[in-house]
Amino acid sequence: MSGFYTGLKYTLARRFNYEARSAGLFLFPVMSVLAVVAVFPILYSLYTSFFNLKLTRPHRVPFVWFDNYVKVLSDELFWESVMRTVSFTVMSVVAILILALFIALLLNESFHGRRFISAMILIPWAIPTVANGLLWKWIYDSGYGALNGLLLQLGLIDKYVVWLGDPDKTIPLIANAFVWKEVPLAAILILVTMKSIPVDLYQAARVDGANLLQRFVHITLPSLKPGFMLVMIYETMMAIRHFDLFFLLTEGGPADASHVLSWQIYVETFRNLSFGTGSAMSYILALVTFALAYAIIKMLGRRI
Amino acid sequence: MTLQSTKFSVPSEKWKYKSKRSERTRSAVIFIASIFLLIYVLAPVGWLLSSSFQSEAEIVSVPPHWLPHEPTMENFNAIFFQEFEEVTYETRRKVDPAAGGYIPSTAKDLLPSMWNSFIISVAVVILNLVVGVPAAYAMAKIRFWGRQASVYTILTTRVIPDIALVVPFFLVIKNLGLLDHVMSLIITYLAITVPFTVFILVSYFESLPDELDKAARVDGCSRLQTLIQVFLPLARPSLVAVMLFAFLTSWNEFLLALMFTQTIASQTLPIIVASFTSDFTISFSFINAAGVVAIIPPVILALFFERYIVSGLTAGAVKG
Repeated sequence: MSGFYTGLKYTLARRFNYEARSAGLFLFPVMSVLAVVAVFPILYSLYTSFFNLKLTRPHRVPFVWFDNYVKVLSDELFWESVMRTVSFTVMSVVAILILALFIALLLNESFHGRRFISAMILIPWAIPTVANGLLWKWIYDSGYGALNGLLLQLGLIDKYVVWLGDPDKTIPLIANAFVWKEVPLAAILILVTMKSIPVDLYQAARVDGANLLQRFVHITLPSLKPGFMLVMIYETMMAIRHFDLFFLLTEGGPADASHVLSWQIYVETFRNLSFGTGSAMSYILALVTFALAYAIIKMLGRRI
Repeated sequence: MTLQSTKFSVPSEKWKYKSKRSERTRSAVIFIASIFLLIYVLAPVGWLLSSSFQSEAEIVSVPPHWLPHEPTMENFNAIFFQEFEEVTYETRRKVDPAAGGYIPSTAKDLLPSMWNSFIISVAVVILNLVVGVPAAYAMAKIRFWGRQASVYTILTTRVIPDIALVVPFFLVIKNLGLLDHVMSLIITYLAITVPFTVFILVSYFESLPDELDKAARVDGCSRLQTLIQVFLPLARPSLVAVMLFAFLTSWNEFLLALMFTQTIASQTLPIIVASFTSDFTISFSFINAAGVVAIIPPVILALFFERYIVSGLTAGAVKG
């Protein structure tokens, strides 16, 4: 055994210099963890997507090539849920960008209490999604919720509304809860970009006689482009994969109003126990996020 | 460069606002915007907090009481001291079913689940450091073949949505014999958090000069000694940030915990809290109190370490 060990050590020492060996040693733990709990599952999921695997009949699992993908892509419900995911994502991301821009503009000024406010906006970011879900479920509650109470006291409605029971309102209401939690991070990222705009630019523009609005449109907005892009891509990734709020607030309902893609994957896999088509859908979703992530990693990784 | 820009920006502050009046408008706009922002951020949480101190009779009032008229601690007593009547079939019938109005017997699960969440999060934090720090150091400071590829590989593992990975994750956990065991969540959360840890630390280590590394190596430090004695002390702010992120992610995670845990042996706080929300017989004020209990630890951490979080979130995100 020890002979084998010294032999191995000798071979390794000859093959790799000290630098490469220590790099290998330092990377080994993280790589082995990720191999077992990330790379293997990702590949296994791809593998499953080529089989007609249903837990309702676990003994017959035929290899079906791309049938699962064909089945999923020709399913109307799939496209309906894609459309719902798209509308949820567009709504959320647009709202996040606008709100985050205003918050960043505010926090970029210096005034008393600025530090207090920038600490407070971290609260939504920090709370668990489950708490976020129950919080908004309680606000939207049809019997005793705050939204009904507030609107009634303001005289905007004359009787309580079943907010989450209205198919037209479900997606915007869930998007609102999502935006509330996501906006702090977006604002922080945009604020950092804003702080990196050189002061000289504004001074030069001022000397040239540009007013506040012109300075905002011609200096601030163009300089914020990298920050905006980053937030947009990241939040799009987060929105299209979002699951927790749909599970906690509506479970895909009422009827199919909040039956988004992530919920569709959940239903297909864990309620219909059809792992093959579930995995195929997952992979379609994964490919879309992958394309987005490629862009984001390129942006972030420029320095690495 | 910096010298020049400060030289110009200092006098500019003085003539930035033309008159007293425009200065006053500016303050007013900032004040109003701040108020709106604070309401937007705090009102939902405040409403949750307020309703967790209301009794069942009060919480069902229409229109709602924005502040509890008769604040009560009964929900928190039930959670922390188990001061509630065991609900049996007989006692439950006495309660008006329309108003809900009872504290579930599973209230006693909240503290153990909180303990599970705590154990899991702390373990994930420690493992993140043990596994992530050497990897980040190697990627930042050691030139080796496949360096760039390994950075991308690690980041890419976080790209696939969790919902897509639940089934294979489940399979791995089952084959390891870890179903309904806290270890299942520790391992999967480690895989979820470590890419971000590595990413933040790599960008931090990269910002430290290579000369530091070389000097230590010339002085005869091994790679490990260089990491521990030279780089770790310098990396403290980033280390705090990654520890916080790992802790918060583990404390807040929901989907995987929903799939892997079955009993209180491994169920985490979010799972127990979520189990209340779908039960219409449970008192609203009790659910809200459970929500408050879940919110408090991460919020305290976030407020206490705000500086580290902001610097961590923005590390490398935007070229400064």
